[in-house]
Amino acid sequence: MSSLPTIQRMMVEQFDLKIESLTPDATLESLGLDSLSVIEFMFNLEDELKIKLPDERVEIKTLQDVTDLVDRIVAEQSA
Amino acid sequence: MSRRVVITGLGIVSPAGSSPEQFFANLMAGRSGIKPLTCSFVDQLSIKIAASVDDFNPAAHFSKIQLTGIERFSQMALVAAEQAVQDAQLVLDETEYSRAGVYMGSCLGGAGTLEDGYVEVFKRNNPRIKPLSVLLSMNNAAASHLSIKYHLRGPNITYSTACSSSAIAVGEAYRQIKHGYADVMLAGGAEAMLTLGAMKAWEALRTLAHEDPEDPGASCKPFSKNRSGLVLGEGAAVLVLEDAERAIQRGAKIYGELAGYDCSSDSSHITKPDALGQTRTILSALRDAHLQPCDIGYINAHGTATLAGDIEETKALKLAFGTDAYKTPVSSTKSMHGHLMGATGAVEFMAAVLALQHQAVPPTINLHQPDPECDLDYVPNQGRTDVPLNAVMSNSFAFGGTNAVLIARRFVA
Repeated sequence: MSSLPTIQRMMVEQFDLKIESLTPDATLESLGLDSLSVIEFMFNLEDELKIKLPDERVEIKTLQDVTDLVDRIVAEQSA
Repeated sequence: MSRRVVITGLGIVSPAGSSPEQFFANLMAGRSGIKPLTCSFVDQLSIKIAASVDDFNPAAHFSKIQLTGIERFSQMALVAAEQAVQDAQLVLDETEYSRAGVYMGSCLGGAGTLEDGYVEVFKRNNPRIKPLSVLLSMNNAAASHLSIKYHLRGPNITYSTACSSSAIAVGEAYRQIKHGYADVMLAGGAEAMLTLGAMKAWEALRTLAHEDPEDPGASCKPFSKNRSGLVLGEGAAVLVLEDAERAIQRGAKIYGELAGYDCSSDSSHITKPDALGQTRTILSALRDAHLQPCDIGYINAHGTATLAGDIEETKALKLAFGTDAYKTPVSSTKSMHGHLMGATGAVEFMAAVLALQHQAVPPTINLHQPDPECDLDYVPNQGRTDVPLNAVMSNSFAFGGTNAVLIARRFVA
């Protein structure tokens, strides 16, 4: 199951973003998120989904990139 | 190089008002911003009063995304700075950014963030601490946010000298302009330490005022026989300081000239104030301003309402001013806005600058029982209007012994 709806819900809650703007191809930059707010968001995602995201830098530009990364980690860590 | 420095903008977020006009009107009316605390941890405190800024609404000024990375003390600094920059109608162009800087004072920076992290790690045994904790809590975060927002590419320094932090920030900023290193400086202080850990630490030191059982707002009683200590506060104040020539050329409104400053150290005891050290600082600031004691029409005292502090400051004023000490109104506005620690020097200097502007002297409230050892004119309980003021002074005397004195005078081109 895709984690996109969870990510969208958390972005609405945490950053007051409009759900309509949270399309998979929306870039984080276009949503007004800088690298620091992304770090904070990923931290909260880890708490919410009880996962551990990798420490190494992963190229994340769009909401789909976040979803792909989270889905992969969820699959790995629940396997 | 020696240039004249003027004050062209004021901004404030304080327990006694969150605009310069509101702040000064409250001081003149003797309205106290000290009140019973309503925070979640109030039951864990022995002393349950403080000068909190209850009407500060971060959501009115910042988006949720911005708030992720900006701590309360930085938020208040940014709001105070915005007022000051607007008030000064300050516009810097690309060529001026590197000649503009920011100096701020703070004692505990983002105390709340740090404490929240400690609770997670030490109390809840949670190994995870919020990833932006360092950036939120670092003492220089407020000044750095101001530097980023206003493109201030000159010096960006945060002073932490306890109660004199922001007086030092303002004074050192004045020197930057005076000696030609910068043309414009934002200067002030910010503090948001009404947190459980910080308040318990202050309780333990036994310097906090007992709550007045009849009127909690009247708990801070500087220079009064029944004074029992200080009341912790929070807030921020920012002033725009500018090279006088630049301000004249652009037709800026000028509140006054920052005419004199000195900082020096008691070098005697970590907490005990020292009249001799304070006297030296006052006299050096007067020399710097080329003024005599009789020129000073109003003194905003450090006036913490501690037993020893008020007596030592009274002694220092007598040593520095001689018989003029008895003729000069001295008030402690801490009786109303509390002790804002790293922000208090800038808040109180602003009170003095506003006194100069309005030709009015704010009172020391809650002064009903004279102390024979505090026998100056402390402007008890009632502010005074229509007072001809040419120059005003603000004292800041800190734990650690770092004293700072600032003097402003009416600007005559």
